[in-house]
Amino acid sequence: MLIQIAWRNLLASPINLIIGGLILAGTFLFVVVGGLLDSLNDAMARSVVGSVAGHIQLYSSKSKDELALYGGMGGDQDLSAVTEFPRIKQTLEQLDNVKEVVPMGSSGALITAGNIVDVTLERLRNLYKAREGQLDDPRLRDLSREELDARITATRRHVRQIIRVLEADQKKAQAILQAEAIDPEVVAAVERVSKDAFWHDFEKDTWGSLEFLENKIAPQVTDAQLMFLRYLGTDLDRFQESFDRMQIVDGTKVPKGQRGFLIAKLMYEDQMKLKNARRLDKLKDARANGRLIATDDELKRFVKENRAQTRDLVLQLDDLKTAEATKRLQGYLQSTEGDLTALLSAFFDTTDANLEDRHRFFYEQLAPLVELYRVRIGDTLTIKAFSKGGAIQAVNVRVYGTFAFTGLEKSPLAGGTSLMDLMSFRDLYGYLTADKKEELAQLQRDTGARAVNRENAEDALFGEGNTVVAEATPGIIDEDKTFTGAGRRLREDDLVKRVYTEAEINGGVVLNAAVMLKDASRLSETLATINATASAQQLEIKAVSWQQASGILGQVINFFRGVLILAVLFIFGIAMVIINNAMMMATIQRTQTIGTMRAIGAQRSLILTMVLTESGVLGMIFGGVGILLGSAAMAWLHAKGIPAPNDVAYFFFSGPRLLPELSTTNLVVALVIIFLVTLLSTLFPAVIATRISPLRAMQADE
Amino acid sequence: MNAIVSIRDVVKEYQLGTTVVQALRGVSLEVQKGEFLSIAGPSGSGKTTLLNLIGCVDTATRGVVEVAGKDTAKLSERELTDLRLNTIGFIFQSFNLVSVLTLFQNVEFPLLLQRKLGAKERRDKVMQLLEQVGLHTHAKHRPSELSGGQRQRVAVARALVTDPLLVLADEPTANLDSTTGNQIIDLMKTLNQQKGTTFIFSTHDHKVMQHANAVIRLADGKVLERVSAREAVEHALSLGEAPQAEARA
Repeated sequence: MLIQIAWRNLLASPINLIIGGLILAGTFLFVVVGGLLDSLNDAMARSVVGSVAGHIQLYSSKSKDELALYGGMGGDQDLSAVTEFPRIKQTLEQLDNVKEVVPMGSSGALITAGNIVDVTLERLRNLYKAREGQLDDPRLRDLSREELDARITATRRHVRQIIRVLEADQKKAQAILQAEAIDPEVVAAVERVSKDAFWHDFEKDTWGSLEFLENKIAPQVTDAQLMFLRYLGTDLDRFQESFDRMQIVDGTKVPKGQRGFLIAKLMYEDQMKLKNARRLDKLKDARANGRLIATDDELKRFVKENRAQTRDLVLQLDDLKTAEATKRLQGYLQSTEGDLTALLSAFFDTTDANLEDRHRFFYEQLAPLVELYRVRIGDTLTIKAFSKGGAIQAVNVRVYGTFAFTGLEKSPLAGGTSLMDLMSFRDLYGYLTADKKEELAQLQRDTGARAVNRENAEDALFGEGNTVVAEATPGIIDEDKTFTGAGRRLREDDLVKRVYTEAEINGGVVLNAAVMLKDASRLSETLATINATASAQQLEIKAVSWQQASGILGQVINFFRGVLILAVLFIFGIAMVIINNAMMMATIQRTQTIGTMRAIGAQRSLILTMVLTESGVLGMIFGGVGILLGSAAMAWLHAKGIPAPNDVAYFFFSGPRLLPELSTTNLVVALVIIFLVTLLSTLFPAVIATRISPLRAMQADE
Repeated sequence: MNAIVSIRDVVKEYQLGTTVVQALRGVSLEVQKGEFLSIAGPSGSGKTTLLNLIGCVDTATRGVVEVAGKDTAKLSERELTDLRLNTIGFIFQSFNLVSVLTLFQNVEFPLLLQRKLGAKERRDKVMQLLEQVGLHTHAKHRPSELSGGQRQRVAVARALVTDPLLVLADEPTANLDSTTGNQIIDLMKTLNQQKGTTFIFSTHDHKVMQHANAVIRLADGKVLERVSAREAVEHALSLGEAPQAEARA
C-alpha cells in the first residue's frame, strides 16, 4: 500500500519527471563513462602489464626517485641498483601467486648512424683493410681476393657518384651565393677529388686518400642523424616467455643466453628507415584511414618534404644504380628528364589518385637499389651511453631483429623502447661484469700492474702526500683506453658469440624487475605479501603495482576517473538539491493528507517510511532505467568497438579498438549511489513530514 | 463508569504572536457511551478546540481530559496515536480522503494501520461498511470521482471501520448542502443506534442539531449549558442564527 501511495504520488507530480531524468542521466553517465574508464584501465593494464611492466615492479628501496617506467617529470629516475637479484628472484618465486621474476634495467643513449659519406668511406676503408689482412670482420672474412676487389671497385664508384652530386650542389650554390660565402678550400677539395687523376692515384697512398676524403669531403654532407635510443636491458629469454604479446617482426630473436639487441619496430620504422619511404608508408596508412592528401595539411607536408628531401636517396646510389634508378623513373613517369633529383621530386609528387601505385613502384623498383634502413638486421650497433657515474661507456651489440607487442604496433609508448641483453646493459650502466673483471685482471697481468688500494693509488702514482687528483668513480672504465689489443679482440668477437648461463645473467646488478603473477586479480594481495616478504628477508626492494610503476601514465586514468567522479557528484548534487526541494514542496502540499493520516492513527514512523519509499521508488525506477540504458549503450559499444583516434590511443586502448566491457562493480556502485542520493535528499523532507501535527487535518483547507 | 469522555476544568491557551488567547476557559463535560451529542456555538466559541482535545490530537494547557478512561495528559505521543487509531474515529469538515487511493483503500487504511486483520477479513469489513454507506459499487473509484456527500459517506465508513468507541465529527455538514447534510447525519444516527457508537459532532446548523440527543452550547470558551436538542434549536432560532451565513467555527 505504501508503495502504491508512493507510486501514485509520483504520477501526480510532473516535477518527479525532472528528478527522475536527473537520476537517470547521472546513473547512465556513471555506468557508461565508468564502464569506459574501467575498460580503458583494463586495456591500459594489458598494455602496460604486457609490454614492460608485468603486474608488479620491483626496485631498490634505497632509490632516490620512484620508479616511472614511461618517464616521470623530467629525465631518468635515480634508481639504486638491486645487487642481490638471484636471492630476490629465488625468494619471490616461491611465493604462491608469483609466476616469474624478470630482471630489468632501462636507460637511453644517443646513437648516430653517421652520414652516408662516412658510412661509405668506412666501408671502403674496411674493404682495403680486409684486403691487407688487417681486419677480421666476420662478414668479410670469407671473401676471396677477387670478391674484395670487386667490392672495392663498386664502393669507389659509389664515392665518386657522391662527389658528383656534391659537385652539382656546389655549382648551384655558386650561382646563388655571394663569393664570400663560399669557402675556396672546399671548392678546391671537391674539384680535386672529382678529377680522374685523384682516383687513378688513389691506391698509391690508399690511407692518405681515404683520410683526405674523410676530412675534407665527408663534412660537406650533413645528413648525420642523432637518434635517441631507449632501451631495456633484460633477461631476453625470460622476457620473451613472460611477455607473450611480444612478437619478433624482422629477423630472429636473440639466441638463448647471448648478447644481442632487438629494436622496437616502431622506432625502427620511425627513426631508422629512409625518410622518404617512411613518409610514403605514412601517406598510405593515412589514405587507408580515409584521410585525403588534397585536404589534410599534415599529408601535404609529407608530400612536400618527400619532394624536397631526396638527398638521402640520391647519395645512396653509385653511378650504376643512379643510371638504373633514372631509367626506371623515366619509364614510369614517361619523362625525358635526365637528373635523378628532379625525377625523384616529380615521382614523390603524390596525390590521392596515384599514391597507391607510386608506393608500389617505390618498393618494387627503387627500394631494392638502396638501403631502406640505417641499421640493418645483423649489423653491430655501437651504443655509447653515459653511465650512472657520468662517464661514457660503449658496447657493441648485434642487432638480431625488431619486435613489437601485438595490438600495440602503432603505439609510440610501447614501441619506443628497444630490448638489450642484461650483460650489455650492465656494461653500459657502468658496473663491472664478470667478463670485465676478468679482462681487467688479464690486463693487469699483461701490463704488470700492481694491485693498489684505491685510497693509496694517488700516493703510489704521485708520491706520498699528494692529494690533488679528483676522486675516481668506482666501477667506471674508459673502454677505449682500457680495452686494446687482446681485450678488444675478446670484446668484439667472442663476446658476441658467448653464451651466458642463467646464473650469470641473473647474478649481477639490475635496476628493476617485473613480477608476473599467476592470478592478476589478486594483485594487491600479492603486492602486500611481496613487500612483507621483502622487509622480513631484508631484500632491500620495494614492490609497486604496474599502475604506480608506469609513472604519469598510470595517473592518466586516475585523472579521468576523478573528472568522472566530479561530474557524477555534480549531477547527483544538483539532483539532491532538486529532489530535496521537490519533496519539501510535496510534503507541504500534502500537509492535510499527512495530518489526516496521523489523526486517523498513523505513527510518525509510517509517515517517514512513506516519504522515503516514495523517493526510493522514484530512484529505483529512473536509476534502474539509467542502468539499463547504460548497459545497453555499453553492449552496443562493445559490439561496435571504439576505434583508436591516434597512435597514442593505441596504447590506452591496447590495440586498434577499445571493446568496452560492462563491469558488475560499476552497476553495484551505481545502485548504491542512487540509494544514498535519494535517501540523503529525502531524509530532511521526510523528517519534516513526520512533524506534521494531526491538528492539520482539522484545518479545513482544501 | 459509563462516561467515555470526561473533561474537568480544562483550559486551553494559544500563543498568537505576543498575546495569549484562551480558547477554552475551564470546561467540564461528561459524555456517556452511546450518546449522539452535538456541540454548538458561534464561531470562535471553542467547538473545534474541544473536539481536538477529545480527539487526542491536541493537549490541554490545564485540567484533565480522560478518553475511554485514560488521562490523555499522561500518554506519550505514540500512545495517543494508538488511542486515536483504536478508540476514536474521525470525520472531517472537508472529508480528508487520501486522493491517490480508491474508496476501498481509504476505508481500509485504518485497518492496515491496526494490523489486526488479515486481507480477507479486512476486505469483508470494508465492503460491509461501504455497503452500509451505500457506496459498495464505487469501491474502486477515486475520491475525485465522487460528490461531496458521497465523499463524506466514505469518511463515515472510514471512521467506523475500526469499530471505535467514539466518533468525532467537526462540522461534518459544513461543506454540504442541507439535504446531503441531513442524509449524513441520518447515516451517523443510524450507525449510532445500530452499533451503539458514541458520536460527538460540532455544528452551528439547527437542522443538524435537532438530530442530537443532547446539545452542549459553548460560548467564549465556556460551556453555557447542556440542553436537549429541541431547546437548543429553539434557542438558535430565537437568536436568528442563519446557518448559511455563519463562518466556520
